[in-house]
Amino acid sequence: LPSVPLQILLYVNGIYYTFYFLATLAMMVYKSQVFSYPDDFLAPDLTLLFVMAALEALRLQLGSKGNLTEEEAPLGLSLVLTVGSALVSLYFLLWQTYVLRADVLLNALLLSTYGLESVLKVMAIAAFVS
Amino acid sequence: AKLCVCDLLVAQCDVNCCCDPDCSADEFGLFTTCSVPIVTGDSRLCSQKAAVYSLDVEADPPERIFQLIDQVNPSVFCIHATNYKEALSFSNPEMPTSENFDQLLQQFGSASFSAEPDNWNMNTDVQNPPDANETYRYEHGVPIQTVDTFLRLPSPVVSSWCSDANPAGFLVNQATKCTRSVSVEKCGDVEAVNMLFYVNSSILAVSTNLFFQVNITVQSIVVQSLNGMQTLLNNSDVLRLPVVLDELCINLVFGVSYHITYTDTGEIIEAAASFVLGAINREALSIQQSFEISFTQVNTEPVPLSGNPGYVVGLPIRAGFRPQGYPFPGEILVLNTNKYGQLTILQSTSNQDCLAAQGARSPILFGYNMISGCKLRITAAMKCQPLAQTLLDLLKGQSFPEYVASFGNSQAQDVLDWVPVTHLHTSEQTMREFYNPFQSSCQIPVSLEIEVKWTKYGSLVNPQARIVNVTATITTTTWKQLPSGRERTIPVTSSVVFTDISSPAEPGYKAWPTINVKLPYDFFFPFV
Repeated sequence: LPSVPLQILLYVNGIYYTFYFLATLAMMVYKSQVFSYPDDFLAPDLTLLFVMAALEALRLQLGSKGNLTEEEAPLGLSLVLTVGSALVSLYFLLWQTYVLRADVLLNALLLSTYGLESVLKVMAIAAFVS
Repeated sequence: AKLCVCDLLVAQCDVNCCCDPDCSADEFGLFTTCSVPIVTGDSRLCSQKAAVYSLDVEADPPERIFQLIDQVNPSVFCIHATNYKEALSFSNPEMPTSENFDQLLQQFGSASFSAEPDNWNMNTDVQNPPDANETYRYEHGVPIQTVDTFLRLPSPVVSSWCSDANPAGFLVNQATKCTRSVSVEKCGDVEAVNMLFYVNSSILAVSTNLFFQVNITVQSIVVQSLNGMQTLLNNSDVLRLPVVLDELCINLVFGVSYHITYTDTGEIIEAAASFVLGAINREALSIQQSFEISFTQVNTEPVPLSGNPGYVVGLPIRAGFRPQGYPFPGEILVLNTNKYGQLTILQSTSNQDCLAAQGARSPILFGYNMISGCKLRITAAMKCQPLAQTLLDLLKGQSFPEYVASFGNSQAQDVLDWVPVTHLHTSEQTMREFYNPFQSSCQIPVSLEIEVKWTKYGSLVNPQARIVNVTATITTTTWKQLPSGRERTIPVTSSVVFTDISSPAEPGYKAWPTINVKLPYDFFFPFV
């Protein structure tokens, strides 16, 4: 049977990520106006944000599909992509050009969500394999 | 201390500025409030250290209380961390040096430039390394540093009262006069009339390097009495401090003259001070002090220049001799120490009698054409030959130089910089003498004309005068023996003429554009 907590978490993740994306984008615009944010530093940060958005959409789609069809392969792939997303989130938490307190809160929450998700995915994979 | 916005005066205490590091505890006692209560870095940081200053007015005298606290910014948009070095501070602009000048010119030399140079990623600490050879020597105009502060030359600022804040600049010869308030009651209290104040500190030989110091030695002391009579003291080793003697305050500093010797690498190797000490009586309330400073390069004699490098109109021509016994080229020329006595012309006297002339001569000043003369009374008793020699000495003077400096600052060591004087001899011959060559051919000089040809040298906007040629022409006339009892008066003249032989500027035109007509290579293609 598909894992209900995982599905709920994936759904909530989707909504939260939309909010996260819009908030981070808005804050980047704010930072570039208020602080000195040269183009050499703004470009990588923006690029990573969009890459993360694409990665997130793919990841959530695969995870949801894998969970509902009870297949391990998409779920495993989604797990791998979760690691990638977590790394990008870690970048936004620690190595961004300007890390505001709001950034810290958003990314901390996102990372904890990823952590919980990964645990649930592993449990689901274990359940489907056996 | 860098963040203290009320610290405006350097090395002085700002009023009501509690964060000023130059203030001492008694100065804090005079404050009424703290104009800047908190000093922090950028306030947008989430958490930072802040220095809080407050004044405890209850205590007597009021004390400044200093606390270091952690200030937290409650906003959610406070900066938690940055990974960008120049985020919150202005980066120091690069100092142009010979290495990066081209790059800076390329970056900033046009009408507009981008606000973000591409070297912001580099470590800013490496960009301006202290250049050991270039910043340590003194340059023209740089204040001369002593151990704790600058060498001061008190000068009047707004009124004529002395201000001690005028630093002496390197290679800047200055002479100042100002008034100092002093009285017999405060004889020993005023520091600025005490000899010790001026010889106390040691001068740093190279700028900012405390290891090499030069002590100021007392070169001479002149004591001036109340009525102005000055006597030079034999013993100038003892420091004479102001002291009250018979209702007079003596040994007050009336004048200081600094002589600084420097090398050509910008180092000070010697400093000497000459003092004029005087006395005041009970009625005096102030004295006038005069200060001067002069610089001499080591191993050179201070030769007054007539221009640098070109001659300045009105300054005397510099001229000299090659000393006897040294036939080799390149040796040092000997100059008259009096700069107005190197090249001179006969000076007309009031009685205009050549033979009674006292030998007065006037210096030849560059650019001033001069003519002078006298009248020679010839009697029957005079003989030609001694008279000719006397007139020659009169016209040319005691020591007519052989070489004239081509530039106003030519050094005596550079013989090639000096122009040799050409001597010409013409004789006035009347038609009768021309046809009778057998008459006595003793000639007496009657006129000396010095023609100085000069040219403009150097850049068009700042041409320098350079002497190219000096010709001394002696005109002689035949001596005619007078019958006894007869007298004749002939005029003897000497003149100096300056001729500008600089070639006029020629207009230059760019080459006309040529029409370069050539048929293309394959014009006659099918046939050739």
